[in-house]
Amino acid sequence: MNVIECKEVSKVYHQKKALSNLSFSIEENKITGLIGRNGAGKTTLLKIIAGFIHDTEGETLVFGEEPFNNLHVSANRIFIDDQMIFPHSLTLKDILKTAASFYHNWDNDLAERLVSYYSFNLKQRHHHLSKGMKSTFNSIIGLAARCPLTIFDEPTTGMDSSVRKDFYRSLLKEYLNFPRTIILSSHLLNEIEDLLEDILLIKDGEKCLHVSLEELKEYAIALNGDEEKVKEITSNREILYEKKIGINQLYVVVKNDLSLREKEQTVFSNIELSAVPSDDVCSYLTNKSIGGIDDVFNRG
Amino acid sequence: MKFDGNQSIPIYIQIAEWLETEILRGNHKQDEKIYSQYQLADMFNINPATAAKGLNILADEEILYKKRGLGMFVAKEAEQIILTKRKNQILKKLVNDLVIEAERLHVSEEELLQLIKAANKKGEGEAK
Repeated sequence: MNVIECKEVSKVYHQKKALSNLSFSIEENKITGLIGRNGAGKTTLLKIIAGFIHDTEGETLVFGEEPFNNLHVSANRIFIDDQMIFPHSLTLKDILKTAASFYHNWDNDLAERLVSYYSFNLKQRHHHLSKGMKSTFNSIIGLAARCPLTIFDEPTTGMDSSVRKDFYRSLLKEYLNFPRTIILSSHLLNEIEDLLEDILLIKDGEKCLHVSLEELKEYAIALNGDEEKVKEITSNREILYEKKIGINQLYVVVKNDLSLREKEQTVFSNIELSAVPSDDVCSYLTNKSIGGIDDVFNRG
Repeated sequence: MKFDGNQSIPIYIQIAEWLETEILRGNHKQDEKIYSQYQLADMFNINPATAAKGLNILADEEILYKKRGLGMFVAKEAEQIILTKRKNQILKKLVNDLVIEAERLHVSEEELLQLIKAANKKGEGEAK
């Protein structure tokens, strides 16, 4: 069953297209990573799915219904990000109580154990917490709500590295005990990739790739060797990334579709083949130029 | 528990290799139930779909067998299949590398055989 279905979804903000013709679906009980550069449209997309904003064109269905202004959808999904604002008069304890009354799967025991693990003082107020502590507290709400659709938009902003690890671990534990559909948006793919089943990569508001993590890991291949010999093999291919090393050594990343003959050719030409880490693949696919930042400094 | 950050070996293959080693060590006997994808996901902090892929490799190679609704179990011939596979793949490759390296260092075949014999003796001594 598909929990989310987007068909040719577009969103225009102030005459600028934030999303453009986005079509994809997300199956029930999968953890999907939403990956993209700053400003790619990740948050816009998640807010449409959560029902906070309307799409301009296309169709978005969540649990088979339009999410905007929909009580059934909002009771069954939770959206966690670092912009969550709670009334200043409420203490952390009040916030947990209110959340418990809204989400019918709420696990109070889990919320309390996490709150004490991270040493929160429940008399504190949310707007007095540090950036990292805010994110940590929000993530507790996101986990304890046990919503069939759980959306985390950059949940680890401000968290230190051990809290981030703890968060990822508790997310996985919760998912194993109570499977649910989870979308996790992040810049730090290498930190979360082991948790993910699928990734959805977007670039400039358009879908770039929607594949399983295993497929992403085998998506590209790197060739490293003598410049001329590497070029011989890669000349007819789309180059995802290219870097010159030393006088005549070239490191080139292309799609992993070399034929057996070409692979043999690399052995004879002393070209080293290697796997490309998935976060590098995502950077290369979303880079504006094939040399990346180096192109800015190479003015020759 | 954590795997080394060896990016070039996919995690599901590392899972399959780890399970094989567990079977060879005698930690899981014939017809015993092996870990579920969820237990493996918890142990190695990975998505259960990745863990399932590792289990399925071993099922395809008939090292494990499935019982509907009950999980995966260690096959009768598991140890033998793993040993044969490792001999054919790993040992052959290591020997190949050894021979190439010996050539590079101008070590004669006789010298190389003597080195292997000496290493074997030492191994036997330690085993006792």
